[in-house]
Amino acid sequence: MNVEQRPVAGDSRTEPPRAERQTRAQEFWQRFAHNRLAIVGLMIFIIFFCIALTGLYLTSGPNPVLDPALVRLQEKLRPPFAKPNLETLGPQEVPALGVYVFGTDDLGRDVFARMLQGASVSLFVGFVAVGISVLIGIFMGGIAGYFGETPIRVDHILVACFFLSGAALAATGLIFFGGGLLMLGLAYMVYPLLTNNAPGKRPVPKWLRIVRQKAISVDTLIMRIVDIMLCFPSFFLILTVVALLPASIYNIMIVIGLTSWMGTTRFVRAEFLSLREQDFVAAARALGVSNFRIIFRHMMPNAIAPVLVSATIGIATAILTEAGLSFLGFGVPPPHATWGNILSDGKRFIFDAPWLTFIPGFAILIVVLAFTLFGEGLRDVLNPKLRERH
Amino acid sequence: MTVRRVLIFAPTAVILFLLQSYFWVPTYEEGTRANPARLHEYITASIGDATVLNPVLSADSASSDIESMVFEGLIDRDEALRFRGRLATSWQIYEEAFFYVNEHVSIPGVGRAGGPAVADLLQRARGRDFPANPKVKASLENIEQIVVIPAREFLVTRRGKEVKGQEKTEVKIRVQAPARIKLVLSQVDQDLFKNLSAILGKAYFASFSGQDDLTIDGEAWQREKPEYAQEILPATEHNPIVVFHLRPGVRFHDGHLFGANDVKFTYEAIMDPKNLSPRIADYEPVKHVEVVDPLTVRIVYNRLYSPALGTWGMGILPEHLLNDEAMQAEALRLGKDPATFSMRESSFNRHPTGCGPFVFQEWKSDQYIVLKRFQDYWEGPPNYERYTYRIVPDLLTQEMEFYAGTIDSYSVRPHQVKRLEDDPKYQSFSGLSFGYTYIGYNMRREPFKDPRVRRALGMAIDVEKIIDFVLYGQGERITGPFVKQTDYYNAGLQPLPYDPQGALTLLEEAGWSRDRDGWLEKDGKKFQFTLITNNGNDLRKAVLAIAQDAWRKIGIDVRTDLLEWSVFIQERVDKGDFDALVLGWRMGIEPDLYQIWHSSQTHPHQLNFVGFQDQEADDLIMKIRQEYDHDRQVAYCHRLHEIIARAQPYTFLYVSKWTAVLDKRIVIRDRDSEGRPVYKQITPTQTGNFTFYFNKWIKLAEVPYLTAEG
Amino acid sequence: MLSFIGRSIVQKTVTLFFVSVVSFLIIHLAPGEPSQVDPLNPKFTPEMVERFQKAFHLDKPLYVQYVYFYRDLFAGRSVSWRDNQSVLAKIWERFLNSLPLFIVGTLITWTLSFPIGIRAAIFRGGLYDRSTTFVAYLLISIPGFFFAYLLIIVVVNSFHVPVIGMETFGLGEAPWPSLFMDRIWHLLLPSVLGATGGIAVLSRYVRAQMLEVEGQDYIRTARAKGLPPEQVHYKHALRNALLPFVTMFGLILPGLIGGSVIIESIFSWPGMGRMAYEAILARDYPVILTVNFVSAVLVLAGTFISDLLYLVVDPRIRL
Repeated sequence: MNVEQRPVAGDSRTEPPRAERQTRAQEFWQRFAHNRLAIVGLMIFIIFFCIALTGLYLTSGPNPVLDPALVRLQEKLRPPFAKPNLETLGPQEVPALGVYVFGTDDLGRDVFARMLQGASVSLFVGFVAVGISVLIGIFMGGIAGYFGETPIRVDHILVACFFLSGAALAATGLIFFGGGLLMLGLAYMVYPLLTNNAPGKRPVPKWLRIVRQKAISVDTLIMRIVDIMLCFPSFFLILTVVALLPASIYNIMIVIGLTSWMGTTRFVRAEFLSLREQDFVAAARALGVSNFRIIFRHMMPNAIAPVLVSATIGIATAILTEAGLSFLGFGVPPPHATWGNILSDGKRFIFDAPWLTFIPGFAILIVVLAFTLFGEGLRDVLNPKLRERH
Repeated sequence: MTVRRVLIFAPTAVILFLLQSYFWVPTYEEGTRANPARLHEYITASIGDATVLNPVLSADSASSDIESMVFEGLIDRDEALRFRGRLATSWQIYEEAFFYVNEHVSIPGVGRAGGPAVADLLQRARGRDFPANPKVKASLENIEQIVVIPAREFLVTRRGKEVKGQEKTEVKIRVQAPARIKLVLSQVDQDLFKNLSAILGKAYFASFSGQDDLTIDGEAWQREKPEYAQEILPATEHNPIVVFHLRPGVRFHDGHLFGANDVKFTYEAIMDPKNLSPRIADYEPVKHVEVVDPLTVRIVYNRLYSPALGTWGMGILPEHLLNDEAMQAEALRLGKDPATFSMRESSFNRHPTGCGPFVFQEWKSDQYIVLKRFQDYWEGPPNYERYTYRIVPDLLTQEMEFYAGTIDSYSVRPHQVKRLEDDPKYQSFSGLSFGYTYIGYNMRREPFKDPRVRRALGMAIDVEKIIDFVLYGQGERITGPFVKQTDYYNAGLQPLPYDPQGALTLLEEAGWSRDRDGWLEKDGKKFQFTLITNNGNDLRKAVLAIAQDAWRKIGIDVRTDLLEWSVFIQERVDKGDFDALVLGWRMGIEPDLYQIWHSSQTHPHQLNFVGFQDQEADDLIMKIRQEYDHDRQVAYCHRLHEIIARAQPYTFLYVSKWTAVLDKRIVIRDRDSEGRPVYKQITPTQTGNFTFYFNKWIKLAEVPYLTAEG
Repeated sequence: MLSFIGRSIVQKTVTLFFVSVVSFLIIHLAPGEPSQVDPLNPKFTPEMVERFQKAFHLDKPLYVQYVYFYRDLFAGRSVSWRDNQSVLAKIWERFLNSLPLFIVGTLITWTLSFPIGIRAAIFRGGLYDRSTTFVAYLLISIPGFFFAYLLIIVVVNSFHVPVIGMETFGLGEAPWPSLFMDRIWHLLLPSVLGATGGIAVLSRYVRAQMLEVEGQDYIRTARAKGLPPEQVHYKHALRNALLPFVTMFGLILPGLIGGSVIIESIFSWPGMGRMAYEAILARDYPVILTVNFVSAVLVLAGTFISDLLYLVVDPRIRL
């Protein structure tokens, strides 16, 4: 695996290149440019990004150029490119562009402004949600892959249990019982510090030896957590949590992030398992580089490729998930407009104001498609297995 | 290659098989025209499924829709919202009032007197005139009978109050009740004892205390003695009595004859704590239900509570199918513990039997509920043979199904009213709903303590605009908490005008002035608050946005928040933790406002969450709920309405209108005196209820040409 | 083999236990409380709310509630808070409704993905490959409900036939073949909608697998010795490319209880997804938890079966 990446990270300095040297980015780009769909995806992605940024600029602040929240009840459900009725509008209510480019919605808000705002909000939701999931995924996967065989002793688990259940009990009101458990856990941690002060190790008592047995390895533990998370049907879980928690844009991002890190963890773990055995890691370890540095400086750049791919597609999925939640009434709440909630608000008017459904519908379609194409293009390029045979 | 052939053949076969099914499906036109049985079936749709088809247990609207078809109550309301008899042919309301003879107080002109003497005194007073207070004479004339109940002794046990760490104990109380006088009144009279004071002396009732007549064992309980005395020996007691005369010959769907025991059973089922009936609060004032004879029930109440009569519109359960023996048998059949088996678990709730116009036939969860007409219905069987209640959770889908003709009626959403009203294929009905939307202010908090501020906030909102544009004209303004189409509503009151300038003047009076940036300010503090509502209601969301915008225009910085329903209720409303909120009340016809407006109901978890307190309003609320006379009730309501409108604890926004469309081919078919069918167009009642004559509806094959009545 | 099965079962039981704890905690620690009683109905008093809580053990500490709940569940006694129906009976009823959707959807997905994917792999880089790729991505990029509305409006407007629900309403006493076909017709749209994502993903996967196998030496050998390309593709390559898909049979098991909330809501399909959704809205904890538990069991059973299948089909793996 990752044939071409090994020399770069390890010993490129010692061996001058014989052929005309290509940077990794150039090589990568060359291959990527072959995939026309991916290029289209990338371009839409960039355009969308620019739109979202301009949208953010135009629609935020105290006096936005295009006010997505401005209600003009007398101007509601106007079709796209309708001219505003200047007689009934106050001076601040006239749309900046002179026409309602995408029409107005049921409260007379300018759909164009809302779509612009929605672009940045949707992008933000997607990025943060995926960011959370990627961070957790890398962290868990990295630990599982790198420290895989490190065992966790029974007493570690016991202490952790004491702490967790103690905190939980204290939180639910049983303060004394919970506090007692917390103290017990603390005491166990402090106890060796006090007794082992004296040099000359005393023989470990028998009961301690039982608890000090190796119970489970870090890898197993993390993969079991992944298994547990995978047991929940994801949309259903998101729905449950979002329905029970107060509706807010942050809750939605966090929930989507917290329920989608398992794939990343698995990728990263698999990459780490193979990287760990490779020479450059062994060399780094021999040089006495800290674990932390090995993980993040040496191994992570080599394992990031599949993460990048799944993150790109993850953003697309997050946008779709948000739209689905909006359909059920649990999406991002106002005042934030997202494409999902514009679409699901608009569906009531599908016979009376079809543009309210079609504009955000197709916008989501195009952007999600772009992300998917771009992500898949990346996957093709980054996956050496497929590449050789093209 | 076989593999290749299979790979191509399999999907083609699957797809072709799926697609050919199209040819077997009747198109909408065939479905509605070619099937004559369709004309005898009424199909309606609902978003949610029913839960429990048992009027005693259910609390959702889908269940009650079905229950209103399957079950029948003793009474209901007619076109003008007056009560009319259904299973009861007639009823009378009178009162038995009691008071204990107070021998510690001397009666003016008589001195201390025992029971017979007091009775005699009252008897003699009946002929007299009371020029100072004509009401006393009326009260006395209302008395039909005076009975002296001699003093007696009895033993009462009460469960002691729960003390932490102690077992619940029983308290034994020996009571030596003094003589008591029972007055039988021909009409309920809430002022009886006030008026009798004119004869017996002002302090006669107030000074009575049963404390000395109680003996309680055990030191611990002595402190609670006054409470027990209040409860066991109340100085005065009103016992309104309702006697229902039941309709003879009415049968349940299984042929069993309906009778007074069913009424008593229904009451007992509601009160049975095992059943967790959500209606228990309605019947809590009932002292007991007596079966006088198979066709007469006598219901005795323990206090004055005028909304009580309306509660007998509730569907009556068949005793023979749900009594203890039936429950035991069912428990044994299902292999469950008979001791804990309750009506909640019975299969009756999915196969109900009542004596309403339709017989329950089939219920497929989340698909449909089918009812069949009841041939032996006491008022004659309905015209439709089947009544089908479809569950279509998506509104848009519902709309498409209505256009396609597979649903007969459709509740139009405001923005569609214009389009569908003009459609020649449909007839439409609209009316005011029984609920209103309001913005409530937390009157415990600054700056909402000041009525001028509340009024100004209301004046800053252009409600007409909300009605015109958010509701598409499908709403009316409302000024107070009563149902607008009843006479309890004080139609003389004018709604707040839309007047931002006036609002600013009012705010200025209250000490708020604009700062440099145009924000309102008082004592260096900006006028700033958060307006909240629940998630999932588009209208409220729109009101939220509009109010925020309107208030921003007069310089108030309003933040808004949408909360999930249970969080909204439990974390904010119940705890009184809010500045202002947008919410709606659905009202009953009864004008009882105790829970929402009485000052005793302002604690956490109670419904007067805005903290409205007004002495006169409290008195009126109590009087209304104790008054059995309609005209007097109306007068009290009008006054109460005025007080609330003046205080503006809410900005009353609007009552929305509903509009329903029906296929034009649905008409009323009646029979004239010679038994020939007569067709009439469906007309709504005075209150807008168009389904009032539902039992006479029928669908015709062609659109009829009828002239509307009147 | 036996020890593998034993180990797996123990491991999965432990996982299941944690799943049950986690889902229980998520639901019970979320703010807000369940109640059959509408707190804003003036007729409900706080005492009644209390009585309801008592009846549902909500006044007990969490771990007691946990024990009660799973005790009832395993005894088959747990009932929905909403309508006092037995939870398992409810789930079974909905399961039977969702089952045809699942079967037809799976059938469409699996029969369609293979020819599409294989053809795309054989003619990789060609017009067919690129257009199927594009269409596949297009299908997974449409918001499901948007697509559903488009389809319904198009079908209803152009063919004038009902598509909502499980069967045409008011068909009455039609002969059984038309009743049967009517049901099939009603299955068509929702199952196609449910299958689009699956087709897109699976056909891409088939394509990738085929490409992978076609690059192997033995395929090159087969081609070099002059076998007709068709035979190479469909006999040598396909057989080996199929291997991972055998194990996927286990992984479709959880789909049995999934059911799409959105599609079922739009098509008024009384399936599992909608029941679960309504349970969430009504905070009907027993139903939510049971659905979750059953689906966790299915996921675990699915992975177990797929592990076993892998053992059976792939001779290289010996545990």
